[in-house]
Amino acid sequence: MISASAFFFYLFSAILLASAAAVVTSRNPVHAVLFLILAFFNAAGLFLLAGAEFLAMILLIVYVGAVAVLFLFVVMMLDVDFVQLREGVQKYAPVGAAVGAVLFGELWAVVLGWQVSPGADSLQGSPTPANMDNTHALGQVLYTDYVYLFQVSSLILLVAMIGAIVLTHRRREGTRRQNITMQQTRSVRDTLETLQVRMGAGVQELGILRPRPRAEPAEEEPRHEHAAGDH
Amino acid sequence: MHLVLANYFPVLVFLAIALGIGGAMVGGSMLVARQMPYAEKVSAYECGFEAFGDARRRFDVRFYLVAILFIIFDLEVAFLFPWAISLGRIGLFGFFSMLAFLGVLTVGFIYEWCKGALEWE
Repeated sequence: MISASAFFFYLFSAILLASAAAVVTSRNPVHAVLFLILAFFNAAGLFLLAGAEFLAMILLIVYVGAVAVLFLFVVMMLDVDFVQLREGVQKYAPVGAAVGAVLFGELWAVVLGWQVSPGADSLQGSPTPANMDNTHALGQVLYTDYVYLFQVSSLILLVAMIGAIVLTHRRREGTRRQNITMQQTRSVRDTLETLQVRMGAGVQELGILRPRPRAEPAEEEPRHEHAAGDH
Repeated sequence: MHLVLANYFPVLVFLAIALGIGGAMVGGSMLVARQMPYAEKVSAYECGFEAFGDARRRFDVRFYLVAILFIIFDLEVAFLFPWAISLGRIGLFGFFSMLAFLGVLTVGFIYEWCKGALEWE
């Protein structure tokens, strides 16, 4: 009889490996992203079993909540055409296989030569304190002992923010933007007019047919009408 | 460690219930309902007319910008959680180190506000 945590370790690992294989092999890239989300969930479960509670929750918040959505957007943006992709397979297969073989050899060498240094435990900068949960332990060292790394991470986030805006943001010509100042400063007199209308009189007779000529330049017109819809 | 894991028992119960209900719905309709598919029945339905094209069409890059800005502030919030629960022990230094962190990201926020990256046109 295996213990419950061992059972869940094997369960999560099995689903993780199966969905990771499905990410690589599935033909539809959207299905691949969905399998990736399943893999993230199971990895969070494994972190939880290992006692890394905070990492598990961050994995769910950041990876499942945000990065997976970003991957979906990228997949949608790439416009993957399978017919076009298949054309190059014959031509590039030898080169790809050679690069893959070199990488596999390197990884194999790393795995074979792996050994844990005997003094590794004593070299830890901040060993895990006993009787304290993960998030508390992290919070006690991250903002004081590792303050430089913490501030550098804020700079990295700033660079990512600026980079994303510089790369993807541009002003588009011919689109209408909301001008809040203009929307707020116009008065009722600009939009509404109260008329005394006789019973049975037509619009032609009274001369209130719209649109009436305006004094303002023509390009201002759509913005005004848009704002009128808001009121 | 087992004490922590015991707190997640309700999550496990929820997972089991969700799997049970989902499996029962899909499996039940597969077992009980009559399945007589043919080409017209299983084709994509688009309000009566033939589908114009593939559903997998290109997205505007602006969605990507919104998503990446969301991720950055998501990470910022992730840094706030351990800070908030250990604020009592890390003192004023920890408090102001987080304020500096937030200040740097506020600079980025003002930048994106002024560039109009948050507006949808």
